[in-house]
Amino acid sequence: MTAAIEIRGVNKSFGPKVAVRDMTFTIPQGSLIGLIGRNGAGKTTTIRMVMSIIFPDSGEISVLGKKSAVESKDRIGYLPEERGLYKKMKVNTFLTYVARLKGIDSVGLDKRVRAWLERVELLGSAKKKCEELSKGMQQKVQFIASVIHEPDLIILDEPFSGLDPVNARLLSSLVDEQHKAGRTVIFSTHQMSQAEAVCDRVIMVNDGTKVLDDTPQGIRSRFDPKTVEAAPLHPLSDEELANLPRLPGVRDVSRKDDSLLFALDGRESAEQVLARIVQAMPVSSIKIVRPSLEDVFLEIVLKAAKTPEERERLMALAGEWGGGGSSGD
Amino acid sequence: MNKILTVALREFLAVVLTRSFALGILLPPVMIGLVVTLTPLLMNQKPPTVHGHVAVIDHSGVVADELAKASTKESIESRRSHDKKEMAAAAGKAIGVDAKTQEQIAKGVQTPAAAEADAPSLTVQVLPPDTDLETAKANMRANADKRLSDMGPDPRLAIVVIPKACVEGEKSAATGEVTYPDFPLYTSTRLDIEITSDIRKETGKAIVDARLRAGGLDADKVRGLITRPDANVQVVTAAGERKGNEVAQILVPGAFMFLMWISVFSAGQYLLTSTIEEKSSRVMEVLLSAVSPIQLLSGKILGKGAVGLLMLLIYSGTGVLALVAFAMMDLVPWQNIIYLAAYFAIAYFTIAALMTAVGSAVTEIAEAQSLMAPVMMLLVIPMMLWMPITRNPNSMFAQVCSFVPFVNPFVMVLRISGSEPIPTWQIPVSILVGALGVIFAIWAASKVFRIGVLMYGKPPNFATLVRWVRMA
Repeated sequence: MTAAIEIRGVNKSFGPKVAVRDMTFTIPQGSLIGLIGRNGAGKTTTIRMVMSIIFPDSGEISVLGKKSAVESKDRIGYLPEERGLYKKMKVNTFLTYVARLKGIDSVGLDKRVRAWLERVELLGSAKKKCEELSKGMQQKVQFIASVIHEPDLIILDEPFSGLDPVNARLLSSLVDEQHKAGRTVIFSTHQMSQAEAVCDRVIMVNDGTKVLDDTPQGIRSRFDPKTVEAAPLHPLSDEELANLPRLPGVRDVSRKDDSLLFALDGRESAEQVLARIVQAMPVSSIKIVRPSLEDVFLEIVLKAAKTPEERERLMALAGEWGGGGSSGD
Repeated sequence: MNKILTVALREFLAVVLTRSFALGILLPPVMIGLVVTLTPLLMNQKPPTVHGHVAVIDHSGVVADELAKASTKESIESRRSHDKKEMAAAAGKAIGVDAKTQEQIAKGVQTPAAAEADAPSLTVQVLPPDTDLETAKANMRANADKRLSDMGPDPRLAIVVIPKACVEGEKSAATGEVTYPDFPLYTSTRLDIEITSDIRKETGKAIVDARLRAGGLDADKVRGLITRPDANVQVVTAAGERKGNEVAQILVPGAFMFLMWISVFSAGQYLLTSTIEEKSSRVMEVLLSAVSPIQLLSGKILGKGAVGLLMLLIYSGTGVLALVAFAMMDLVPWQNIIYLAAYFAIAYFTIAALMTAVGSAVTEIAEAQSLMAPVMMLLVIPMMLWMPITRNPNSMFAQVCSFVPFVNPFVMVLRISGSEPIPTWQIPVSILVGALGVIFAIWAASKVFRIGVLMYGKPPNFATLVRWVRMA
């Protein structure tokens, strides 16, 4: 089976700014892939090159076995990050127009449009002008526009941004449905939790370069738990506190609200350290903190920082990229 | 190809099905119709009803009676209706319509209602020559601030003083030459301008008549003798003679060019705004995921071109119908309409390519202004060329302009529909030059379009556009 997308050694610069650097990855057909990275990491540029909207300075891209997406445009569904609608056009006219551009025959097209609008609970808005819809509704129309021609490859650039939780879940289930129907789905997001929940593989991009390419499970196992969080039953004396970092397997202890975070040095397993902490102090709760994709991502990005100043700046920015916040269990 | 047509169809319908298009198409003919029907009505507007008298102090003693005769209600009426007929006939002759149509126009100008109602009821009061002028003015002074209706039963509206010298002349002591002085006319503050001019003209006429009578001549006969005849112009052509009319010779080429200009410019404007709309609403990337930039560009240009062609058909159709109605179809040979279509295509594709390029480079209509300047220059040139080229279609200047890309379709339309035939070889050659210009414009536009459509942020300047053309 040919790969849905194959990218080899692709570079792209805009003037002095390098947007994508030596990007290489393969996406097998039928997979559901998350392309994650902070804003400006090069996700959209990569996707636009895959779509042949812009062209790489060097390197090779093949899409659905063809030299470029131009030759297989009708087999690709694309939801751009900068998405738009004709403001004055009616919803059903817009969808019909896009489907016709994608090479769908006009026979039976009306029915197909209606069926899709019904799926996303927008049948009542079929005759409304696009500008009359709310932002979330528009986004659903745009999603339909990208899948109405039943493409083999679906590329969604930031599909969840701006959606409320209910619609995000609806979209998530629609994406899953497309995946189960055997289609290849790639979506980019800066919300790592979203990717973690849905994807069967994640490609992480930072500063135009691919930094990670693995399954969410693979990533988790690669970045073993390195922290234990414990809440003392009663306030600890200074002496008790001073003794805690000396526990075997513990590198450092820091405060987080009412809890203490035990950074592990990796010489002992998390379970062993957990047992030692319980012996050392009475606790009301204790857990092993598993790294989320976001934590992993942060760690990678911070490691890549070239100077302490850059590292500091990135730390300050960290909250901005996360979106969903840190999740532990 | 299918996709290009799908885009073209949408671009066409997106304009044609809007209310503003219907309005825009209908408005100019409706406006012209309104002007044509309303102008005579306004011209025949009743002046305020006037009653009163004109006092005449006649020092010559031979003018007052004549003047009194000319100021009866009947003679004023008949004079006015005669004037209007003359005016209509002159206008009809100038634009070259036949005698029957001239009559119809005259009828239109001379509406019966206007003729009967507006003649003022004026009387002439002859005052003795030794009347004191200041005393005579007293009534007018007293009424100076009053409205016409409050001036009493028979107010004095004007005083005409006819000096003896006006009829008999003054002999200069030095040269012996006889001169005739002007006569004083004192009018009320409220006197209608038309009546004032009537009094002036009729007094003048009565004085001249008196002079002629004094010389022993028949005034009516002399008037008949000195009427200047006009020429009945016939243009001798290979097929025989046809009516000549200089005004139409200037107007027809101009009309052809304006027709083309309006269609090209409107379609180009639609193209500019639709491209900017697609860019600013960010629908562009959705479209580009389905079609290539060149397909989108072609579809857009074709679709809006169809809009321009539709406008051209509607307007030129109306024009041809009007010419047929006025029996002036011989002014526009059929092959000219075919050439018009060909040159429309050249002009349109050139301007369309430039407009799309500009539209793709900016995000908002306001940003387009500075980039539009060069395009507007191209569109203004034909306006300036209208007169010189129509009057001399085979001048060196006209011939050179016929082979300058971008300008030549307009120039050729002017030359072809002008009065002189132009060398036949120049038509295909100019079309070829135009076609090369079109190819170049579309090539350059597609380069700018490919880069521009996904470029947001600071709008590029003209130099940047040129760089894009050379770069891509």
